[in-house]
Amino acid sequence: MPKTTANGLTFHYQQAGDGPDVVLIHGLTGDLSIWFLSRTLAALAENFRATAYDLRGHGYTEAPETGYTSLDHAGDLLALLDELQIRRAKLIGHSFGAVIAAHAAILAPERVDALILSDPYFPSLRHLEDLSRWGHWQNFRKEAEEAGVTLSADTWYDLTTFFDQVLHLDDQRMLAFRRAVGLPGLNRVLRLARTTCGADSKLEAGLDAESIARISVPCLALYGEHSPFLSTADHLVSSLPNCRGRLVPGAQHRAPEEAPEAFVAAVLEFLEDLKSVSQSEACS
Amino acid sequence: MSAPVKASDILDELRRVFRDGLSVDPIEPITPGTRFFADLGLASIDAVVLGEELQKHYGRKLPFNEMLADLGAREERDLTIGELVDFLHKNL
Repeated sequence: MPKTTANGLTFHYQQAGDGPDVVLIHGLTGDLSIWFLSRTLAALAENFRATAYDLRGHGYTEAPETGYTSLDHAGDLLALLDELQIRRAKLIGHSFGAVIAAHAAILAPERVDALILSDPYFPSLRHLEDLSRWGHWQNFRKEAEEAGVTLSADTWYDLTTFFDQVLHLDDQRMLAFRRAVGLPGLNRVLRLARTTCGADSKLEAGLDAESIARISVPCLALYGEHSPFLSTADHLVSSLPNCRGRLVPGAQHRAPEEAPEAFVAAVLEFLEDLKSVSQSEACS
Repeated sequence: MSAPVKASDILDELRRVFRDGLSVDPIEPITPGTRFFADLGLASIDAVVLGEELQKHYGRKLPFNEMLADLGAREERDLTIGELVDFLHKNL
C-alpha cells in the first residue's frame, strides 16, 4: 500500500485518476475506505487526480500519542501535499475531516482552490447547536450502553470519556464490547484511546469563529437533510463570503454512508460549477 | 504469467494473496463461503488493500473500486470469497 513520510509520520494514502488535484479527508474514528465505499473516489477519478489518506491515529497511518487538534491535522495535510507534490487542491472533508480542511484553508489559502465541507461541527461554534438533539450521539450512547460502556447523558460526543471507559473494561465487558463493534472496530477504538485524540478534537486550536468567517475560497456547506448541525450550516452560508449551502436528501450526519449517490452528485455538481465559473472569469 | 481460468486455481491464488498481502492465514482454510468481514475479521480498509494486492499479483488493472462501491451500497455489508472468485473469473 502506498505510504509516505510527512511531518515525521508515515501516512497511508491512495490515489486515482489524472487532472487537477482533489484531496479527501475522512472523519474521526473512520479511515479512507469511506471514499471507496461511497464511490466518491471512483467518481472523482474520471476528471481529477483524487487523493485520499488516513489521518494520524487512523487506518494504516501511524498513531503518535499526541497531536490531534485540527491544527495538528492541518499541518499533517499540508506536509502531505508537499510530499505528494500537490501544489494546490480542492479539499473535501467529512465531519472532523471538514474541520481539518477549513483549518488548512486558513493556514495556507494559496494552496486551497475550494472547500467542500460535509457536515462539520466546529468546536468554536458549538454554542449554535442544541447538542441534546443529536440523534447520532444518542444512538451511539445507547449502543455503547448495551455493550457495557456507560456514558453520561449530558456529555456531548465525549470521545475522551468513551475512550477512557473502553480502555478500562474488565475482561467480560471487553468481550461484550468486542462482540458489539467487531474486532477491527475494537482495535480502532483502543488505538485512538491511547492517544490525546478525544480531548484534542474538542479544542478550538486557533480555529475561532472570526477565522472561519474569513475563509474566502469557494466553499460548499454540504449537510444531511436531517443533520444535527443545520444551525452551523446556516451560519457558514451567512458568514463566509463565498459559501453556498446544500442539503443531502435522506441523510443525517453521515451523508457519504447514508446517501452516497446524492452525496457524490452534490460534490460533482459543485466542482462542475467551479469549472464554469473559472472559465467565464478567464474569458471576461 | 498466464491468467488462471479455473475457479479452483483462482481460489488457491486468493489464499496466497490473503496470506502474503494481508497476512491473513486462518487455521480454517478460506473457502468460497468465507466472509471477508464476519469470518476473517477484516475491516473495510483491508478491502481497499486487497484490491491493490490483487492488481499487483495479477499485474493488471481490475475494476476493484467499482466492486467496493457496490459493496458500500449493500444492506448487509459483507463479501464472500466466492464473490471475489467470480469477480476475478470475470475480469481476468
